Amino acid sequence: MKTRTTLWKTLALVALLALLLAMPKIARNDYQVRILNMTGLYILISLGLNIAMGYCGQINLAMGAFWAVGAYTAALLNVNFKWPFWLTLPAAMVATAVIGSVVALPSLKVRSHYLAIVTLGLGEVINIILVNEEKITRGAMGIPGIKRPSLFGFVFNSEQKYYYLVLAAVILGYLIARQITRHRFGRAFRAVRDDYVAAKAMGVNIGFYQILAITISAVYAGVAGVLFAHLNTYISPDIFEFRSTLFVLTMTMVGGMGNLLGSLVGGVLVILQEALRTFRDWQLVFYGVAVVLVVLFFPGGVMGIAARWRERQASRLARQADTGEAGNGPSGEAR
Amino acid sequence: MLLEIENLTMQFGGLVAVNNVSLNIQEGEIHALIGPNGSGKTTIFNVVSGYYKPTGGMVRFKGQTISGLPAYKITALGLARTFQNLRLFRSMTVLENVQVALGHHARTRFWQHVVAPLAVRQEERQLKEKAMEKLRLLRIEQYADELATSLPYGLQRRVEIARALATEPTVVLLDEPAAGLNETETAELRDILLQIRAAGITIFLVEHDMKLVMEISDVVSVLDYGKKIAEGSCSAVSCDPVVIEAYLGKEGE
Repeated sequence: MKTRTTLWKTLALVALLALLLAMPKIARNDYQVRILNMTGLYILISLGLNIAMGYCGQINLAMGAFWAVGAYTAALLNVNFKWPFWLTLPAAMVATAVIGSVVALPSLKVRSHYLAIVTLGLGEVINIILVNEEKITRGAMGIPGIKRPSLFGFVFNSEQKYYYLVLAAVILGYLIARQITRHRFGRAFRAVRDDYVAAKAMGVNIGFYQILAITISAVYAGVAGVLFAHLNTYISPDIFEFRSTLFVLTMTMVGGMGNLLGSLVGGVLVILQEALRTFRDWQLVFYGVAVVLVVLFFPGGVMGIAARWRERQASRLARQADTGEAGNGPSGEAR
Repeated sequence: MLLEIENLTMQFGGLVAVNNVSLNIQEGEIHALIGPNGSGKTTIFNVVSGYYKPTGGMVRFKGQTISGLPAYKITALGLARTFQNLRLFRSMTVLENVQVALGHHARTRFWQHVVAPLAVRQEERQLKEKAMEKLRLLRIEQYADELATSLPYGLQRRVEIARALATEPTVVLLDEPAAGLNETETAELRDILLQIRAAGITIFLVEHDMKLVMEISDVVSVLDYGKKIAEGSCSAVSCDPVVIEAYLGKEGE
């Protein structure tokens, strides 16, 4: 039974990977591949937010700002100092980690929605700096001429080629996030979220883990920003509006907080958003309604619904096995 | 002296919850702290474990002043506690709840969790074994993979104790471990507490179940209105007229 399920899982995974690899061929034009690329970037940001908010309970609404910091760091180093992508990426990761840990400091004093407001404010401060420090960032004029990345002479100079870079980043980002959240660090994050008073008594230095979780989320957003800067080759402050942060928040909550697969599922919303482009003015209303519905009825998001369905299946199977063995004996829910 | 509480005072605005209390807890003993509701027992626990900063006096543990240190550092020094109202991590299984408290055993660094999955997996195995040890001590190993908050109340209490023991304490503060337990469960708890002491861990206990307190305690201290009114062996304290008065009121009233 168990080996059969693993076999099915492996097959499904191989099929999914094949589908993902074939996507640029399936897509009808550059525009559709572009949307897939943006989906990948949003999934990266959502993975980060999921670690901070889903696992550790630290609502970080400065995600758009971190994505901007990543993009600007890469753009400035690439355009001014000719650093290639493979150097701007680690540099931007360091930059977002430093700024992320500073933005995380208020988590030592405030929690939940108060922290949301503080991070929201700090994120806006960062965006305002980007707009007004014209000598460095060229302000609203933006930065053109960012080079596409290359690897051993292979230049990622089309949407199709870039897709594979984004795909690799998403897979790697997912695996790392999984590695972090599955073991000791993940447990400490969840302990802080579930009951920080008890966590302290268990010897958990809650301040350290709060700052770490927010810093990780900042680095994820920063990496997405770097990938965006080198993909778009031009960036300006208006790309990083607060709306993007709200979108990632919606994505993460609808997909499923505290479950990394939820961030992948949430990626579907990026495509949905593009498909419903004509209703652009209504998007914020849609996000709001989606978040309220999720919070009220499906706290675990899509992944929560899936988990509940699996549990019900399992308890039905257990009941069948019960009645099969013990005739028509009474049987309750599994839990 | 393992744990010294010296002239401890804890004031909340005009309310003096703990008034100039001194207590000494010796290594290896079971020391019970009793008293009517609102007499300041849990407040003393909260001060000792680092949740409140005392307004007067001090707490010394293994000769080191700990009052004012953050709670997680006090735990790391070897002083663990449980909570009167259960505070289990609700998203976690019994095993995970205990594993959270094993942080001091972990040697892997954050970067290893990012790039060295093998080292992490090896450590996870060790942590799991350590956690299972504690579950066996509390006789709840068969529930390891159950969601902790889905267990019956009595078992949840034991998960709390297992979690506290997982921090490898020299002294453990148990806040009403028998509250809500039936007679059989209490009897089992008594055996477990004696086993914990036999393992060399000092127990500082707040408890209302007098039968349990009298059966296992080496020393009993009595609090009333934030003041210590008596201290001594079980038999001495239970005959003390001051104690009887605190619990039952004055004769002829």
